[in-house]
Amino acid sequence: MDADAVAPVTPGRPVGVAIVDDHPVVIDGVRAWLATEPRLTVLATGDDPDEVLRAAPEADVILLDLRLHGRLVLDKLAELSAAGRRVVVYSEHSDPQTMLAALDAGAVAFLAKHEGREHCVATVLDASSDRPYVAPALAGAMVGDPRPDRPVLSDKEREALLLWFQSMSKASVARRMRISEHTVKQYVDRARIKYTRAGRPAATKSALLARAIEDGLVRPEEIGIYRSHASADRPTP
Amino acid sequence: MSAEPHTTLLPQSARSYPKPDARTTEATDEVDAARAAAAVARTSDRGARVVAVTIALVWHLVIGLPAVLAARSALAVPHVVLGGWLLVAGLGVAAGIRLLRDKPLPAPPLVGVLLLVDVVVFAAVGRGQLFSPANWVWGTLAWFFLVVLWGRPVRWLLALLAAHAATALTAVALYGATGAADLARSTMALYGTSSLPVAVFAGAAVLATLSRARAATAATTNAMVAEREAAERTRHDRRERLAFVSQAASELLTELAQGEADPTDPQVQRRCVRAATRLRRLIAESDDVPHPLLHELRAAADLAERNGLPIDLVTIGTPPSLPVPIRRSLADPLTAVLADARDWARLTVVSGPDEVVVSLVTPDRAGPDPAGHPPVDSGGQVEHLYERDGMIRWTQTRWHR
Repeated sequence: MDADAVAPVTPGRPVGVAIVDDHPVVIDGVRAWLATEPRLTVLATGDDPDEVLRAAPEADVILLDLRLHGRLVLDKLAELSAAGRRVVVYSEHSDPQTMLAALDAGAVAFLAKHEGREHCVATVLDASSDRPYVAPALAGAMVGDPRPDRPVLSDKEREALLLWFQSMSKASVARRMRISEHTVKQYVDRARIKYTRAGRPAATKSALLARAIEDGLVRPEEIGIYRSHASADRPTP
Repeated sequence: MSAEPHTTLLPQSARSYPKPDARTTEATDEVDAARAAAAVARTSDRGARVVAVTIALVWHLVIGLPAVLAARSALAVPHVVLGGWLLVAGLGVAAGIRLLRDKPLPAPPLVGVLLLVDVVVFAAVGRGQLFSPANWVWGTLAWFFLVVLWGRPVRWLLALLAAHAATALTAVALYGATGAADLARSTMALYGTSSLPVAVFAGAAVLATLSRARAATAATTNAMVAEREAAERTRHDRRERLAFVSQAASELLTELAQGEADPTDPQVQRRCVRAATRLRRLIAESDDVPHPLLHELRAAADLAERNGLPIDLVTIGTPPSLPVPIRRSLADPLTAVLADARDWARLTVVSGPDEVVVSLVTPDRAGPDPAGHPPVDSGGQVEHLYERDGMIRWTQTRWHR
């Protein structure tokens, strides 16, 4: 269904990135982070998502500052996600409610601004292939999610999220949980995939889910609720 | 970690504010209005209880006993009347003590005993003394009903008084005292001895309800005032910190802009990191009145920060109210390690209604483990974990309900 709406990244050419922020100095900073990675290229920048996308309609990933000109643009985020745009949100508003609201609206990933240097490149690369990337701040928001309809996480998933949030080191989490770093990442990513069921359906969420199934991260039968939930919201053709 | 460019957005109101002193803000513990109201109601009800118990026992002793003793020879079965008196006196003393000590009374058996004594005494006084003061159950028993039924609905008392009246009228009928004068005397006696206890009982109940309501209002108001004051102090405190921090940041930015500070200088980089961390912490603080646990941790983080340690404090969720020993077992092991930390530190708190996990991560370095506090006794409710793996030192405390 919606998964088709997310355009696949053309193999062999660098991933096109658009940066939307109302502070030129931040754009320069993000550009400098991304410049360290040859697989990424910045196509357009600006302070208006529509203008930036007009300049670079082929952008694979949009880095979006959640606060533009003094207002939170969650509605714009939802619109872009519904249209199949992979949006990586980054914001100085790293309070859990805002982060979870961004996920609900369909953001592929959320970066707190101070996490940018360490996690920005990896997040954009994973986002371009519809794979989840959970930076520590988001892990904290997920593990402390107080909403009654939050996704049900397994004990291991919760523990991996909690320890990753605390230590910011997957190697240390792996040692603590006596599992491999790969398994730590799997637990964290599985938890993230469960969040594709929260909030309203979006093309980007379906794409994350489809890729997770393809990668064997989750089994199709684990996501039954999502399908029924999604179909209830849309008229059957 | 770096000095984020967005620090330029901070208000340029930084003037020559003095460095803030140790925080004076004291977290106000939540005031449980309902509990306070119940306490006030209990206190005011206590007075009424003392009155009820005193009336019952004094009446029994001063009016009942002399009458029984004086008319002893005229009673049909004096031992039974006197025995009943003694039994009720003992019961009254025991029930009164329990009532004044706030211990629950087993009402049904006590009521049973009182009604039994009622019947037996009516049977044992004899026709001659039926209306005399020697038939002490007429006047005294209702006050004992009051004592054993204290705090229960008024209808229980009314039911019991009805049973008492039925017993009395049955006795009057069986003794054949059915003349108009006798019936009038019975009615007068019943009315006279019941109305006052009912009034006291109902009045006490109304007073307790009123005082509970008033105390609840007062406690809520107090809690709001305290909360507002704490919030005001917190806000003031935060503004001072913001002024201080943004002054430091704008000085640094000015130096960088004018080329006086060299971005490649490790000293300058360190100043940037410190300024950025402080600003980030200020931005992250969203609670108006911090929970005592967060307050303690924040104070420890402030101290470490003033000693030059870049520290992040990230809190997720609001901790439930925790007893002091548990709070101490959660915070103390971390503050001990924090005092020994170098380079950077990350302090996190994740709270839910049934779990609070506090963690401190600092870079590992050669040297002995910091001398930890002796574990505070929290009744085994707080897990404490400390480990170092060559990269980080990780201290975690975890409380489960």
